[in-house]
Amino acid sequence: MNSDGVEEMLFGFPSSQDSLDQTWEQTYQDDDLLEAKFDSDPPSWILRTTPTQTSNWVVARIEHMLEEIVDGLLGNRDQLSITLKSRSSAAGRVFEAGKGMVATSESKTREISFPGNTPQEAWRFTVLLRIIELVHSALIDNLIISKRRVFRDIYYRHPDLFVKQSVVDRYVDDLAFTFGVTRSLLNVVAAAKSLVAGHFTIRRADGTTLHGLDEKEGILLPKIRDVDILDLSCVHWILIIEKEATFRSLLSSPEWVDLGSSSLLLTAKGYPDLAARQFLRYLADHFPSIQMSALVDFDPDGLAIMSTYKYGSMRLAHENVATNDTPALALPQLSWLGVRSHQLSRTPVTGRVTNCSANVDAQGLMRLTSRDRKKAHRMLEWEICREDGPEPTWRSELQTMLMLNTKAEMQILEEQPGGLASWVNDAFRVKQKAQGDANRSVPRVASGSDIGFSSVTR
Amino acid sequence: MSKQYLTLHTLDAVHPSDIFALAATKTQILSGSGSSSIRIHDTTQPDFPLAQTLEGAHKLGVHHLVTSREGKTAASAGFEGKVKIWMVSEDGTWFEKGDIVDQHNPGDIWAIALSADGNYLASSSIDGKINVWSLTFNKDCMPKIRDYETKGSFGLCVNLSADGKFTASGHENGSVFIFNNDTGRLAHSLPGLVQPIRAVAFSPASKLLAAAGDARVIALYDVNSGEQVANLVGHGAWVLTLDWSDTGEYLLSGSHDSKAKIWRIDSKSCVTTHTHGDRPLWAARWLPKTTRSEMFALAGGNQAIGFYREAAG
Repeated sequence: MNSDGVEEMLFGFPSSQDSLDQTWEQTYQDDDLLEAKFDSDPPSWILRTTPTQTSNWVVARIEHMLEEIVDGLLGNRDQLSITLKSRSSAAGRVFEAGKGMVATSESKTREISFPGNTPQEAWRFTVLLRIIELVHSALIDNLIISKRRVFRDIYYRHPDLFVKQSVVDRYVDDLAFTFGVTRSLLNVVAAAKSLVAGHFTIRRADGTTLHGLDEKEGILLPKIRDVDILDLSCVHWILIIEKEATFRSLLSSPEWVDLGSSSLLLTAKGYPDLAARQFLRYLADHFPSIQMSALVDFDPDGLAIMSTYKYGSMRLAHENVATNDTPALALPQLSWLGVRSHQLSRTPVTGRVTNCSANVDAQGLMRLTSRDRKKAHRMLEWEICREDGPEPTWRSELQTMLMLNTKAEMQILEEQPGGLASWVNDAFRVKQKAQGDANRSVPRVASGSDIGFSSVTR
Repeated sequence: MSKQYLTLHTLDAVHPSDIFALAATKTQILSGSGSSSIRIHDTTQPDFPLAQTLEGAHKLGVHHLVTSREGKTAASAGFEGKVKIWMVSEDGTWFEKGDIVDQHNPGDIWAIALSADGNYLASSSIDGKINVWSLTFNKDCMPKIRDYETKGSFGLCVNLSADGKFTASGHENGSVFIFNNDTGRLAHSLPGLVQPIRAVAFSPASKLLAAAGDARVIALYDVNSGEQVANLVGHGAWVLTLDWSDTGEYLLSGSHDSKAKIWRIDSKSCVTTHTHGDRPLWAARWLPKTTRSEMFALAGGNQAIGFYREAAG
């Protein structure tokens, strides 16, 4: 088992992020994997344009594949084999406007055999067969689980067999490619996990537009392609929210009319994936005058999540390893909106007389678990939380967390007068006031062909 | 009946982060904070000048810092999990005598307390264990001499009675225990306050134990009988720190909403309330009585130490 796996199980560190980073590094060495690995699948309404291949069809294909292996066993054949279409050639893909990279029919195939000629081949066969089996049972049970869940489930069934997460990623993609279906038809739902909402517009090259206020519950994080034009002229504030529930409650609040007219909200539902970080980095690069804030839980994970947005993977920051990833996707200007320790028992924004008796017993305060404490202690040792490091406030808030042995979810801000949405809105007004008119003249339209993002999407 | 205390002096920006602990001797006040250094100020001079800085005492910050009543020994506990013992030399400079490592993970030792003579140290831990260590041996050997088991709730605070007979601990689940150090057994399991107990303190005569925390009430217990004898009500937020005056007449308390209160024990009433900044008040300590009038110091999230003295007349 690799060290990430151990760490994840022991400490719940974001090794999903780490493993993505791992594969991310490989991308630069291995251009071939670029397209399939790191872009989330396009939104599902695009994918469903080829509905002929249903999941029953996929199940049949898988069963056919398995039957062949069984036949091989019964027939005492020397070699058992699985034929996969290979994605290794760039010729197998073509760029289509509106759809992104799509596969063409011309592609090579390769056979993976057992026992094969080398131990590696035997291992590959075992890995593939096990993944096929797991995908099959997910399809039969009709479990639609998120890609990450499935991937992680698959990986953690046999970490010693799969060795690392990227092995699973690759074979699932190979399998989907072989069947000519998307991962979602393998019940590996890989739709962008992040949600965004706000007063922004994306004008696609094909003339379609996507508006951030189109959907009441936010839209799946769109992919910005290099021909798209992103209009953020009305956005003055980008707010990153740790949890989907809080994101949704903000969108459904009466204050959203006001807040939504001048801000962009994003949630990656926990630790951000690369798609979310790429999107934010793109915004930071093209609209540097727009303030970015994070609203996370007051607990070690909340801080670690914010840190992943701001500095990238913690593991890398801790080891002080500079990769292509870290400087490229970091958001050094990200500010911390909350939840802060002083918000545990105070009502700071309204400026009213503090009413501690009402708030101390507020729901949402919890004790740290021993895992939380361990994690907080470890985070104090991080480079960025060092005494002379860049985040003295994080250090101090982690210490306060440990001193009080108390954590709080964002929901505690519901206890503020007017609730969470009103509190966020007030915080935004304060920020906007502080920002003043300084940014009014800065153009807030960017084309995706500008530097940065295009290198990822191409 | 109220009592007047005047602000005598304020040391600003003593530490670059929250001051979590204060400990006083007759001539000095030691402060520990989220920074790695312990700072020592001279309390005999009107401007309370910095006397010494113990650089890099605890890399990840200091969460507890105590001195013995006789003023020759200090102990500090850091977020990295170590407890360091400090001694003062004739000329008033402090040096490290050694450390206690509990062979456990960081944070296993949490709160600490020193006996009046500086010969014993009591510690609480995350898993509720209360230990007493002997400091009289040499640097390499400061053995554990008492090992009290509780029900496993985080021991947020601990105290040793001045006569050395008792150890008290306050726990996250609201329990308060008094252990008899002579017999090594639990003396009393006190009716707690249900919510986390963040401070326990024996009166100087070892007759009373004060305990307080998130319930915002300060409970007074008779140490011998284990009976609760009073409730001091008035704090509007979690009580984080408690300290008895030298005579046992007054109890000083500090809370998360930056308020410090002084309670007169015979009338069980609050005689004065002070506000120290707008951040949590982590530490409130009387300065040992000298010839001058009664003084106390407050410190917390505002990174300053405030000194107050009783108004004459």
